[in-house]
Amino acid sequence: MSFLIRQTLIYAVPLMIVALAGVFAERSGIINLALEGIMIFGAFVGVLFVRVMQQAGVFDVAKEMSNYLALQGFMCLTMLVAALLGAVFSLLLAFAAINLKADQTIGGTALNLLAPALVLFLIRIIANQNTLQMASGDAASWFMIKKAMLGIDSDTSNFFVDTFLNKVYLSTYICIIVFIVLSIILYKTRFGLRLRSCGENPQAADSLGINVVRMRYTGVVISGALAGMGGFVYALTTTNCSANGDVAGFGFLALAVMIFGNWKPLNIAGASLLFGLFKCIAASYSSIDINGDGIYGLTTIGLNANFYRLLPYVITLLVLAFTSKNSRAPKAEGVPYDKGQR
Amino acid sequence: MKKTLALLLALCMIFGLMAGCSSSSDETEETETEETVEEAAEAEETEEAADEAEETEETAEAEEETEEVAEIASADDIADTMTSDDGTYELAFVTDVGQLKDKSFNQGTWDGVKLYAYENGLSYKYYQPANGSEATDDDRYDAMASACENGAKVVVCAGYLQEAALTQAAIAYPDVQFIFIDGYALYDEDGNVLTNVAGIAFQEEQSGYFAGYAVVAEGYTSLGFCGGGGGTNSACCRYGYGFLQGAEAAAEALGVEVTINYSWLYGSSFQASPELQTMASGWYENGTEIIFACGGSMFDSIVAAAAENDGAVIGVDVDQSYESDTVVTSALKGLSAATSWAIGKDYDGEWDDIGGTSTSLGVNDDAVGLPTDTWSLENFSVEDYEELLAALKDGSLVVSADYPESVADLTFDYVTVNYIE
Repeated sequence: MSFLIRQTLIYAVPLMIVALAGVFAERSGIINLALEGIMIFGAFVGVLFVRVMQQAGVFDVAKEMSNYLALQGFMCLTMLVAALLGAVFSLLLAFAAINLKADQTIGGTALNLLAPALVLFLIRIIANQNTLQMASGDAASWFMIKKAMLGIDSDTSNFFVDTFLNKVYLSTYICIIVFIVLSIILYKTRFGLRLRSCGENPQAADSLGINVVRMRYTGVVISGALAGMGGFVYALTTTNCSANGDVAGFGFLALAVMIFGNWKPLNIAGASLLFGLFKCIAASYSSIDINGDGIYGLTTIGLNANFYRLLPYVITLLVLAFTSKNSRAPKAEGVPYDKGQR
Repeated sequence: MKKTLALLLALCMIFGLMAGCSSSSDETEETETEETVEEAAEAEETEEAADEAEETEETAEAEEETEEVAEIASADDIADTMTSDDGTYELAFVTDVGQLKDKSFNQGTWDGVKLYAYENGLSYKYYQPANGSEATDDDRYDAMASACENGAKVVVCAGYLQEAALTQAAIAYPDVQFIFIDGYALYDEDGNVLTNVAGIAFQEEQSGYFAGYAVVAEGYTSLGFCGGGGGTNSACCRYGYGFLQGAEAAAEALGVEVTINYSWLYGSSFQASPELQTMASGWYENGTEIIFACGGSMFDSIVAAAAENDGAVIGVDVDQSYESDTVVTSALKGLSAATSWAIGKDYDGEWDDIGGTSTSLGVNDDAVGLPTDTWSLENFSVEDYEELLAALKDGSLVVSADYPESVADLTFDYVTVNYIE
């Protein structure tokens, strides 16, 4: 059970945070199709940063002395760097969509095409192969939290410790906190209200003295930062901190999750957990033991393995089919702001 | 303004189309563009190499006389790309699916090419077929053809997937010698053997047997096997089958019960993937102590899962204990040595010994085994291993290479195989 929850969170958290990235852009009126591209870029930047720091030996002492606090700090720093560069990358979209009033879907698609090509090109130059990896060690030994680090005796084994304090990444919790804080900002602050108004009726917002251009830039930049960070978190937790110009379509899945969750944070969290759960079941159905009796329930049913692998996508389709009737996108998303149009 | 812009865009599209036409010859030559960037690194690396050769005083001068450095510590110290004076490259390597630097099959073979080239002062170059893991026979042929066009005398092709492309290339370039690693003798349409192709295969089952025997003798009773190639790669199948036989033999000797999770899932392209990592994590979580990561870059996913769960890993093809602390031992095959040996056959004028035939290398050629220097086994001693090795060599112990269609059909007395499809 603990295993299932841990793994579900690992799949769900990048989805959740990147879907929220989509919400910020779309609520401000810009369709951010480039989530996938920004994630790829963020993952690359994060891994590169880790690699460079390792090569420079900055954290070698901390690693030697098992100073976990410093290593977690290193990880947080890397998340920040990935977020920063993600934001910079998203400025390309913002410039095209806001200043040049270009078609936003085309701009986003262009970034999606650009990112993997650019990243692969750079990786080939840096590492002379198609995958950029850490300079030494693996993600788990550098960044993973295990109960021994927290001073918990290795014999202590209860549900809470096993699930939330052992074999987890701090990034998971950081993302959840960021998710909650940003959701509150979006709904409970003056800034959030203004941002959302720019996605619904920018002309009205402008008439009340809100700078629509600035608001939209802010929305896209926040979106880029979150997606970049999500990309690195994905690379850290699921691919052993390596980047290869691919995030397994998580950016597009995040878009689906966003629509699925009706552009509302709470629904998005639910949707990504649902998707993460089925993704996890698909990959490890043969070793899931819910009640701890040593019997792997899902293998005894005798269903074909491919059935489990289909599940995440079938479930998404089904839920979309039933919920899309009530789904409502921000009214002005995708429409370049034109002052003259009232 | 608009008109010029439209014109420009149209031109861009046309050029884009043309770029598409030139196809893979461009892509295979990508490496060349990197060479300039690499040159700086190369200089550094030779310096390091000199350091390790313990020429402490002469390091500064050694830079100019790299070729005279007597011994080089390892193939990693030789740059992967080099620039030859006349633009031709005598030794060529065409990779299998997966990465060049997969820390395993491709890299091991490539090390053999580099070492031979380095020792004999030859030029060398690698070619990765376009489209990576989805490479078609045409992509592979293009890579081989550009190798031959660049003046290759010997082309080393890794992986049995290259068969069709290699046949085509061997007919098109009869003067070039091809070494087919993990392969066999090839025939043209009329059934005549192609004498410029040397098939080199390994008796992986023996290596797998050692690994299986060693870890069970060490005390592990819950094992795992993650294989690449989706169960169609004969080398991986032999590894797996040998692994099972070894585990069975050791379990019988010790009188213990052993369970093995056996799976080809998520390995068909030999790549690391989140799904593979989750699956391996699940195994470790449920008591699996050690997993045999049998397939190129899949190693990364298994090691990540092992590090998360404090599990152990058996490496494959080359000694992978340098890659991670979780690696207990590796099932070796002497890729590097065999590649150098086969290239040497051509340069020593003994090509006829191996050309047009299938050579299978095993314990008697010292081509398979375990790395006794770097393993971290404690209960299974080097003497035990030597004993096993001797038994295999004198024929008193025979490991079957005749793997069944599906492992699910197998039954053992001491080993329970839990086949996960």
